[in-house]
Amino acid sequence: MQSDLTRRGFLGTGAAALGAAGLGLTPRHAAAQTAAALHLSWLHSAQFAGSYIAQERGFWRDAGLDVSLLPGGPNAPVEPPVVSGTALVGISAADYTAAAVEQGAPFRILGVAMQKNPFVIASLLKNPVNAPADLEGKRIGMALANTPVLQALCTLNDVDIDAITIVPTQYSAQPLLAGEVDCLLCWETDLPVAMTMQGVESLTMLLADHGYSVHSQTYIATEDSLANRRADLVALLRGEVQGWDIYRQDTDAAAELTLRMHPDAGLDLETQKLQAARQVPLMFSDLTEAEGFGWWTDEAVEANIETLALLGRTVTPDLWDRSVLEEVHGG
Amino acid sequence: MTDAASPAPRRGRAHGAWIGVAVIIALWELAGRGLTEAFVLAAPSEVLAYLAEDWRLMARALGVTLANAAAGFVIGNLAAVALAGIALLWPRSQRIVTGLALLVFCLPLVATGPILRVFFGPGPGPQITLAALAVYYTTLIPLLVGLRAAPDSWFDLVRSYGRGRIAALVHVRLMAALPYLFAGLQIAAPAAFLGAMVGEFTGAERGMGVLTVRAIRALDVEMTWGLATVATAVAILAYLAIGALARRVLLDAPPVILAAPAAANRGRGWVDALVVLALAIGLWGWTIWAFGLNPFFAKGPGDVWAALVTAPDAAATRGVIGAALAETAVFLLPGYLAGLAAGAGLAILLVLVPALAGTAMPLAIALRSVPIVTTAPLVVLILGRGAAGTIVLVAVMVFFPTFVACLHGLRQAPGQVMDVLDSYAAGPLARLVRVRIPAMLPSFFAAARMAVPASVLAVTVVEWLATGAGIGSLMALSASLSDYDILWSSVVLVAALSALGYALVGAVERRVLARYAPEQLA
Repeated sequence: MQSDLTRRGFLGTGAAALGAAGLGLTPRHAAAQTAAALHLSWLHSAQFAGSYIAQERGFWRDAGLDVSLLPGGPNAPVEPPVVSGTALVGISAADYTAAAVEQGAPFRILGVAMQKNPFVIASLLKNPVNAPADLEGKRIGMALANTPVLQALCTLNDVDIDAITIVPTQYSAQPLLAGEVDCLLCWETDLPVAMTMQGVESLTMLLADHGYSVHSQTYIATEDSLANRRADLVALLRGEVQGWDIYRQDTDAAAELTLRMHPDAGLDLETQKLQAARQVPLMFSDLTEAEGFGWWTDEAVEANIETLALLGRTVTPDLWDRSVLEEVHGG
Repeated sequence: MTDAASPAPRRGRAHGAWIGVAVIIALWELAGRGLTEAFVLAAPSEVLAYLAEDWRLMARALGVTLANAAAGFVIGNLAAVALAGIALLWPRSQRIVTGLALLVFCLPLVATGPILRVFFGPGPGPQITLAALAVYYTTLIPLLVGLRAAPDSWFDLVRSYGRGRIAALVHVRLMAALPYLFAGLQIAAPAAFLGAMVGEFTGAERGMGVLTVRAIRALDVEMTWGLATVATAVAILAYLAIGALARRVLLDAPPVILAAPAAANRGRGWVDALVVLALAIGLWGWTIWAFGLNPFFAKGPGDVWAALVTAPDAAATRGVIGAALAETAVFLLPGYLAGLAAGAGLAILLVLVPALAGTAMPLAIALRSVPIVTTAPLVVLILGRGAAGTIVLVAVMVFFPTFVACLHGLRQAPGQVMDVLDSYAAGPLARLVRVRIPAMLPSFFAAARMAVPASVLAVTVVEWLATGAGIGSLMALSASLSDYDILWSSVVLVAALSALGYALVGAVERRVLARYAPEQLA
């Protein structure tokens, strides 16, 4: 039965295509759709709402690209699927990309969604961390894996890291609320949002405001794709740019779309709205206003290289490749 | 079984079960209300309220994860039966089959998850595979024990009819293996569910694992414990269903096994180990070559050798991994031993005081079935971020399979031997020491061996998700930083050390069983 259906379906499609071709009526979308996957860096959420807008409004379909959005997760590094070609483009961050390049992955950064790194030190109002110097004498909850991040922040701001007690914790606001730690190293857009939704006001100090320059939510692809699938890359990033431009106009609508497209992700609308609004200052600036979404300056690359050096990563400016974005914004 | 022989205590035990469940829920409610400010535990009333409101979302997620777990359960157990068949038809291969099976089972899922994802692409492939990997070994080992748990006289009988090994397999070995198979399946059910959930961490659209990650990050304690409750309920139901099936199928009392002491014939151990090693390395290299896995993340035996031995920074690599392993060992060994002691101890206690079963059984199943992802923060809160929390979590993971296996082993005490003790008016303690514990030993050691990889799995998951220390954390970190040389080297060392631990337990086992259950050593 299965094979019969398939065969009949195949014959039917074939006949229809033949007839359409004979009449000179090739369907606009059905023909020549190139498959391409965009690997997200985390589970579905408003963090990627610009991509959902691009998909829902058919920006990619109209360009002949059939884009599937692959979700990430706690045990889903983005780099292997991009290297192996499962995904054309991955969403990574400059530090992870630099590490992968050091290990021989042929990556280039094609666009920067988060101009400002989303890492913050989150604390409670009664015991605030407003500036890096406030960290001395405090207990900070974080993954030990992120120690280089804290080290870099301390170096950039002349803070003695030995005066800070690092408590290895799971990635959750719970240790802060339970009083096990005084502050957390986390993202601006997740744990502080969770605390707000639980009715706990918190304070966040953005690391990017204190010299920590690491591009985040960067679009990466391999050199091979840049050479051989440039048109697909341009189409994919153009859809992203269009999607995020619409996202910016109405983040609430973007959050609603996120829930509509991913009803099984267990998302809460109010949380998503707050998250969607909070990531706007990280993604949009006077620079993107002038040059377009995803843009970066040579100065920003220099600053990134300096911070990455503090994280123990040696990179050169040609890790960033603006050629695809130039085509997107130029054409 | 004793249950069937004495209906009266059985009814009492059923009441006991309800009382036990009620006590547990009452304590849970109190704890949940007491810990509201800590955001770690929701009371049952809050969980019910949440489930009543969001049951559609939960039902969809459960459907997805359950389907993957069931597929993995079937595939994994079929694989176990096939492997046991090979080992039985070609006895010389048994230690090689179990050795390879062990090495595969020891591969830490922190490392295998992302590789499976690249291998399968989008879809349920990694979830099903991890569920299958979580169960096949815990079925294989009891099955191999069971296939030999028959008296020599039965085999003599088959031979006296002029029949061969196939007849012996069908009429004697399979029948003897059934109780052991069911015990294995009971242990496998919660493991398959956990495997499917952790598989979703490799990038899935939907499922209970996806929701758990979401709920924990969002501080949504009601949802977190709602998920844990549903997962636990499913695991308990599967456990009970398999148990009920076993009671319908297994009507015969366990036989008396009188076997001659095994001849000392252990000289081939090193040869077998070398064969396993050669096969494992060959398979490893072949897989990477045959599937064209990218050398950026797929490191072969040569790469790992270089990273650990010949590379200029090999000493530094060894130092990093060695320090992480040492950190892990501090949690692992006490947790392993405590889990074994608790499992065997509770099983013995239940046989001595059957009235306790009503309370202890549901608690024991629940403890094992609550996903470790959910319990880790609670245990860490109660016991602190030091060693105690991790040790307890490892012990919990070891405890349940040991408990089930020991309980089953204690019940394998042959009725005739018990009758002899009855006729001498021996007390429960004498029966325990002289009959039940010796009858339990094969199962206990099988469990102790299985618990080696299970405890490694537990400790690496806890380190990865909760404490951020040791080898589990190092593997997660090296995966996120694309340091696949360190990752694969860690995987190799963890698997090798697990296998070594397993061999050590096996050595102790042979000494003990040579006296108490020589048929297992034939």
